[in-house]
Amino acid sequence: MLSYLPEAIGILLSLEGLLVLVLGTAIGIVLGAMPGIGSTVAVAIVLPFTLTMSQAPAIILLLAVYAGSVYGGSIAAILINTPGTPQSAATCLDGYPMAKRGEAGLALGWATVASVIGGLVSAVVLIFAAPQLAAFALEFGPIETFALILLGMTCIVSVSTGSLVKGLMAGMIGIFLSTVGGDPILGEMRFTFGNWQLFAGFNLLAVVIGVFALSEVFIRASAPISRVSELVAFNGIVLPSWSMWKGRLRNLGKSVFIGNVIGVLPGTGAATAAFISYAEGRRSSPNKDGFGEGEPDGIVSSEAANNAVTGGALVPTMALGIPGDAITAVMLATLTLHGITPGPKLVDDNPALIASIFAGFFIINLLLLPLGMLLSRVAAPILRIREAFMMTAIVILCAVGIFFVRGNPFDLLVMGAAGFVGFLLRRQGFPMAPLVIGMVLGPTLELTLRQGLILTDGNFLAFFTGHPIALVLAIAAVLALSLPILRAIFGRRPQ
Amino acid sequence: MQRIANERVIVQLALLITAGALYASTFGQSFSATELAQSPMFFPRIILVLWMGLNVIALVQTVLAQEDVGAIASWVRIGVVVVAALVYTNVIASEGFFLPSVVFGLICLPAFGIRNPFLVILFAVAVPGALVLLFNHTLGMPLPVSRFTHLF
Repeated sequence: MLSYLPEAIGILLSLEGLLVLVLGTAIGIVLGAMPGIGSTVAVAIVLPFTLTMSQAPAIILLLAVYAGSVYGGSIAAILINTPGTPQSAATCLDGYPMAKRGEAGLALGWATVASVIGGLVSAVVLIFAAPQLAAFALEFGPIETFALILLGMTCIVSVSTGSLVKGLMAGMIGIFLSTVGGDPILGEMRFTFGNWQLFAGFNLLAVVIGVFALSEVFIRASAPISRVSELVAFNGIVLPSWSMWKGRLRNLGKSVFIGNVIGVLPGTGAATAAFISYAEGRRSSPNKDGFGEGEPDGIVSSEAANNAVTGGALVPTMALGIPGDAITAVMLATLTLHGITPGPKLVDDNPALIASIFAGFFIINLLLLPLGMLLSRVAAPILRIREAFMMTAIVILCAVGIFFVRGNPFDLLVMGAAGFVGFLLRRQGFPMAPLVIGMVLGPTLELTLRQGLILTDGNFLAFFTGHPIALVLAIAAVLALSLPILRAIFGRRPQ
Repeated sequence: MQRIANERVIVQLALLITAGALYASTFGQSFSATELAQSPMFFPRIILVLWMGLNVIALVQTVLAQEDVGAIASWVRIGVVVVAALVYTNVIASEGFFLPSVVFGLICLPAFGIRNPFLVILFAVAVPGALVLLFNHTLGMPLPVSRFTHLF
């Protein structure tokens, strides 16, 4: 892939390349800083703008918004004690107390440097790990791919916040939605009930934006109107000096490592990484006594880990076509819109594209430092925008985004319906990420299962007897599925 | 009675009935009887059975645990916003993007508590207007236009 680096740099240094790198990161930081928008909605809002772009700039724009929004969440977390994104929730714990004692600029400085380092290391991991993993997966036949997707599906367990049963059920609903339309082997229409609009199935992005963005608007409408938060005094970012890092580098390294490892595991996500890293920091940091009262190590633990997840999460997405969360599911859907088939062949078939995406991701993380310093001043007043304006704008922008995906008004109806159903389900405690992951992985799961059964004359056990890789993956899937269930059952006993 | 007739139970019953009806619809079609993996209904049936099984477990858990959903702060507000959003997504294709967006803004902003009429009108017109200018007249990616004029 290194041989394609000059071509990749050529793409990145073109006017379009530079614009998407800078504007995408800037937009991501600002949108991420606005509470209620979050990374998924930020990526969805920007999506229509990518449709007129060529492949590499389009994907880089989404990556820039993704990485920028994860960092941007820390601005709101520190300045108004409200995480802009769920990933920054742990940052509030020490960021806001620091800001309240008049060190908001320094708190954001710690967050910025930790985010940049976390993101850069994760970009390196992505560059080296994704091609290796993809090369290994190239050997897979339908049976191995089925076992791989099965393993990917177990991430539903880990993204199921709250009830595990409801998470699995949401996953089943997602997989079912993916079966609507043409059958992948015989081409017969299923569950269309004579409606020709359903012949191509439900548009993934319409469902994703409906259940995440639109349902969020409905949930906000069902809650008491929130008051505008008070800003603490803030005069720009102050970067920590070298001497201030003394005794904190080990915590930084550990947080980056945790973020990368958790990022590579499908379904865990940046919020989980940030809290695990924060807990580990509180356990092992030499400054652990100050945690929760404005300790910089707390900010470093959370921000280094959540930004390190961004690159890690892209490893299974790019190498195997398995999305780790809703954001990477949107990315996969966008790849498809641009005529790119996600999966193990992606790296092999599009080396120049992948080289420019990976190099672009590295530069995006470098840009977080200057743009973060510049934009935190701009983003601070934006935090005081009333919720009403944000919610109204989200609905309008989502409508624009969905219309441009296929130019099909039916997708707008699907988005509206998905928003309402998503609102009802979220009120009952159903997590929405499993639904989206089920919808993304469902078609491949079905196709490979049926192909495998045809190859083995309907003998499901033969999937594993003559296919050691499939057996190992299936055992890993069973373990991944059963461990949280056992923990949930036996974890309650002491109480 | 409250244990059974609450929002959580009703929604989960509705999901169970939906799954049951979808499962029933997989039978009686020309290709329904095709053998195992060849059958287009083979995979959906597995998924629907799992859906129904999990649904029953979730339903029993809900009834036993007597869980409550969060209270709605204002039924009027949520009603207005949901209906406005659903109608809005329905009429964009026929009435164009701009006019429904303005009306949606004029309804949604007061529902969310904005009382200043100047701000409401300014935002409701400026945001959709800027998007029409950007997409229809600058980027050349036209959003749907109204039946009255091709400009918006």
